[in-house]
Amino acid sequence: MSATRTASMSPLICWSCRERALGPHFCSNCGKIQQLPRDVDYFAFFGLPRKLWIEGAELEKKFLQLSWQLHPDNFVHATEREKDLSLERSSQLNDAYRTLREPVSRVEYLLAIEGARKEGEQKQQAPPELLEEVFGLNESLDELREAKAGGGDLSALKTRLEAAENNFQEKLAEVDEQLQGIAREWDAALDNNVENVARNKLMARMNDLLNRRSYIRNLVRNVAAELTG
Amino acid sequence: MAYSDKVVDHYNNPRNVGSLPKDDPNVGTGLVGAPECGDVMKLQMKINPETQVIEEAKFKTFGCGSAIASSSLATEWVKGKTVSEALSIKNTDIVRELSLPPVKIHCSVLAEDAIKAAIRNWKTKHGVEAAAEEKVAH
Ligand code: FES
Repeated sequence: MSATRTASMSPLICWSCRERALGPHFCSNCGKIQQLPRDVDYFAFFGLPRKLWIEGAELEKKFLQLSWQLHPDNFVHATEREKDLSLERSSQLNDAYRTLREPVSRVEYLLAIEGARKEGEQKQQAPPELLEEVFGLNESLDELREAKAGGGDLSALKTRLEAAENNFQEKLAEVDEQLQGIAREWDAALDNNVENVARNKLMARMNDLLNRRSYIRNLVRNVAAELTG
Repeated sequence: MAYSDKVVDHYNNPRNVGSLPKDDPNVGTGLVGAPECGDVMKLQMKINPETQVIEEAKFKTFGCGSAIASSSLATEWVKGKTVSEALSIKNTDIVRELSLPPVKIHCSVLAEDAIKAAIRNWKTKHGVEAAAEEKVAH
C-alpha cells in the first residue's frame, strides 16, 4: 500500500442514487451520507495525506465541520439506514480526531497503518543504558515507599527523586524533539516520492523513539505519583 | 482484569525476589524491558561453571502482576536446570502454566527474554567456555 495515497479514494457507487459518489462522506450527486469504504484510514477521513505535520487549527476546523454535517440530529427524519450511517460516522470521526490531534498518537497510528508497528511484535530492546537507568530509578522509588512506610528521613531521597524527575522530563522533551525532526523528514520523503527503503528506515527510527518514550513516560508518571503522594 | 489463581499466588508470594552480586563471574544478569508498557525486569542466576547447573536464581520486576508472576515462575523453573535446559523454556510454557490472557502474552515474553539475556551475560563472562561449547555443538 502506498503511503502517498490520500483521500482521493476510489469512487464508489452511491447506495441511494446509484451514481458515482465522489465525496468521501456524502454523495456528490444526491447528497446522501455514504458508507465508509473498509480501507479508509483516519487521514483519508479528513481528506489529508499521510503526513505527520498537521495544523491543529485546520484539523479542528475540519472536525467541527464534519461533526456538524454527520451529526445524528440532521438525520431525524431520514431513513433508518442513514440514521445508522450517521451514528457510525460520528463515532469514527471522534476516534479519528482523537488519534490525529496528538502528535505522538498520530505517529503511532501512521506506523500501525503502514504496517511498521504491530502490537505484541516488538523485539527491539531498548538501549541497555536506558534500561539500567529506568531500573535504578524504580529501585529508588521503592526505597522511598519503604522509607515512607517506616517514617524515616525522606529529604535526601526526595531530592534525588526530584533530580531524577527533571532529568527524565528533559529526556522526554528530547525524544519528542527527535520525533518531530523525523516527522519532518517523513513529510519531505512523501513530497519527493522517496523509495520504500528510505521510508522504512524513517519508520524504524520513529518506532525506536516511541519505545524509548514509553519507558520514560512510565517513569515520569511513577516518580510524579510518588512525590505528590 | 481477573488474574488466575496461580498469578495471584506468585504475585502475593513471589519466589526468589532479590539480587545476586552482578560482578561475580558465575552470575549472569539479564535486564530486559517491554516497550509496550514501559515495564522492566531483572533476572539473575548463579551458574556452576563445571556442571553448567543453575544453582540460584533471583529476580526483581517493576511491572504488572503477570510480569511479576512470570519472572517468579521463571526463577523457580530454572533452578536446578542446566543452561541448555533453561534455554529451552518458552514463553508459551509460562502462558500455559499461569493461564495468561492474550493481552498479557508480552509479559511472559519478557521472562523468556530475561532468561536468555542472563545466560548470554554469563556466557560472555566465560567467553572461552562459550566458544568451546559452540564448537562441540556444531
Ligand atoms: S503489562 Fe507490562 S509487563 Fe505486563
